Amino acid sequence: MSAFGKPAKKLLSFISGEYGMAAVLLLLCILFSALTIEEKSPEGTKGGEKLAADIIKLTKTDPTNYPDNLKIFIAANKGKIGQNFANSLKEELNNSGLKVTGQAVGDPLEVRKLLQSAGDIDLIATTSSMESLPLFDSFLDNETKIRSPRTYLWPVFLTPVNLRNITSQIAVIAILAIGMTMVIITAGIDLSVGSMIALSAVVAASIIEKMGGAAEAGTLVFLVASLAGVLVCTLSGAFTGIMVSQFSIPPFIATLAMMQVLRGIAFKIANNETISDVPASFQWLGNGLSYGIPNCVILMIILYALAHVMMNKSMLGRYIYAIGANAEASRMSGISPKKIKFTVYAICGGTAGLGGIVMASQLQSGAGNYGVTYELMVIAAVVVGGTSLFGGKGKVLGTLIGAFIIAVITNGMNLLLLGSETQMIVLGLVILIAILIERIRSGEWKNAVGG
Amino acid sequence: MKKFIKPLFTLLITIIFIGCGEKKKSRGLIGATCMNIANPFFKVIEESMRDEAAKHGYDLIYLGCEMDISKQQKQIQDFLAKGVVAVAVNPKDSKAIGTAVKECNDANVPVFSFDVRVQAPDAKVVSHVGTDNFQGGELAGEAMIKSLGEAGGKVVVIDFRAAESCIERVKGFKKVIDAYNAQRESGKIEIAAELAGDGLRDKGFKAAEDALQQVPDMRGIFAINDPSGLGAVGALEKAGKLDQVTVIAFDGMPAGKQAIKDGKIYADPVQHPDKIGRECIRAIVSHLSGEEVQPNIDIPASLYTKETADADTSLN
Repeated sequence: MSAFGKPAKKLLSFISGEYGMAAVLLLLCILFSALTIEEKSPEGTKGGEKLAADIIKLTKTDPTNYPDNLKIFIAANKGKIGQNFANSLKEELNNSGLKVTGQAVGDPLEVRKLLQSAGDIDLIATTSSMESLPLFDSFLDNETKIRSPRTYLWPVFLTPVNLRNITSQIAVIAILAIGMTMVIITAGIDLSVGSMIALSAVVAASIIEKMGGAAEAGTLVFLVASLAGVLVCTLSGAFTGIMVSQFSIPPFIATLAMMQVLRGIAFKIANNETISDVPASFQWLGNGLSYGIPNCVILMIILYALAHVMMNKSMLGRYIYAIGANAEASRMSGISPKKIKFTVYAICGGTAGLGGIVMASQLQSGAGNYGVTYELMVIAAVVVGGTSLFGGKGKVLGTLIGAFIIAVITNGMNLLLLGSETQMIVLGLVILIAILIERIRSGEWKNAVGG
Repeated sequence: MKKFIKPLFTLLITIIFIGCGEKKKSRGLIGATCMNIANPFFKVIEESMRDEAAKHGYDLIYLGCEMDISKQQKQIQDFLAKGVVAVAVNPKDSKAIGTAVKECNDANVPVFSFDVRVQAPDAKVVSHVGTDNFQGGELAGEAMIKSLGEAGGKVVVIDFRAAESCIERVKGFKKVIDAYNAQRESGKIEIAAELAGDGLRDKGFKAAEDALQQVPDMRGIFAINDPSGLGAVGALEKAGKLDQVTVIAFDGMPAGKQAIKDGKIYADPVQHPDKIGRECIRAIVSHLSGEEVQPNIDIPASLYTKETADADTSLN
């Protein structure tokens, strides 16, 4: 224990230090990168050029199988990338005097039809995603060969598409977790945030549908609808705040009740249906990109920056920590715990409302069943991020890391093709392990009497 | 401290092994997501999809979104990042799934739906595989005619108007009843009331209680699924009228089949999830082979009666 224990304890304290969970996040990223290394191949113009170079080289090194008068057919997937692939491949091959007898860019059905009418073919040049399709089976024999660009190894986890997926997928939970962090630092809890997602999404979607001229609604309507959604949730949060601060109802009970009430209201507003008469442009916030970054991620980063400054530089932030650490002592020193609690629950409502708007935008619709059990995911993100459920301790940026740990694990498991049941078990265990590390580091487990 | 480190490492290594297992070359990966993995119906679909995909040399990932449409969207996004050759989706929400399907359309990955349709404008699905609910409703109608016999009488429909599939079932039922009535002078079957059961047991119970008040002389109930049908059975038992009223439900869930065996429900048109899964994979393979695929692949329902139940070894 002693020889091994010291460095181990040092490592553990680093891992769960101030932002030490970042190390865990990094480790997870490295782990999933290593596990998702797969054969990738160049796409589009670059893929076409690479394949052309390969084929030209083969005609020189292996002229018996690949003679100069080879009849080449180019097949590529539908869409711009496929078109670029075909174009560059054809250009390069023509430049070096090789003959392209036919070309098909499209669905398997279209490619097959064009192939059938192409006559005699010696070589099918295609993308690597198409190469293994059964489409070509009946055309391949000793005479006809197939080639695609050479593959290289690259982790799927680290592709730009996947990194965008991870960040935009966690945006909703991460935004909700901002308000939740503050609530938990005051030693409270808010179980109603999942229902607020639905409420906000439904309010916004129905305003767009009913008052904004449905599919023709413009930016101004979106803005008004979104603000309305956030406002409704802020007011709901404020109401909870009054219940908790003025009437000292335990937050667990007050927010449990609100969770039911708000979910019911959301279903009522939506009339038990999905409000989907919303224009596609409403997706800008949830699914749109600016400079290659999802807009909802930009919103998330801005909100975290604001919250970080608020918690560390403002009086309000200090008071939040103070009443969480010792409400009685802070009341004695002239801070009003009631006002602070009220404010914190209102903020939590506001961030939940914003999260709901993001979700409505991602799904281009609103329904009463959005965000069911999200409160638990949000609380998990906060706790994994190092905030103590007993109040007084925690960091907003830690929560962001906590949210990302959850997102990376979920995404990584999808990429590893783990089934839903396994995913539930692993996610639960990881949350448990994260909290276990925190307990061990703080040493509180030694003094615990149990229970 | 060693105590904690060891299990941690064991877990890590296990994950690595799961990840690294089976790296053989396949035709490609098919990504499927259903609304709820806990429902046996979708488990049967998974098994038949897995068998069929393996037969054709494809890998399959089959996930459940646990009734969370946002989670389903994420699963489809992850499928795209993974580079699947096709997506099979059983939408939790026909409309809200639209954005995810459109993402697949943009990435030129073909989408197939099973059991529930995608109903979002501009979202393109190659083909839909599902139970022929209209034909299932017809079977229910024929069974009702057979049960009521020459006397005919009043029947009540317990429906669920929010679900397209259930509306189709009622349409099929009515078509058969109407055609039957048109040929007859007497002994017609009259649909006396259509009550909302929401496809739920407690709502089905209440609807049947209301029906007993409104139509005291009713002779039959058609409930659009097993839970609402079992609810109706409960209400009839309570009123002591189960022997006078024929209940026909839909689905063939284990509890429904048991009720048929016990003589509480007369018959169920049953769905065939195994065929749905198999035909869905076949449609995908055909599409990827460059063959023409029907936009609608209907899997016929079949009638499950007391005789079928008596021969069913899964019941006791």
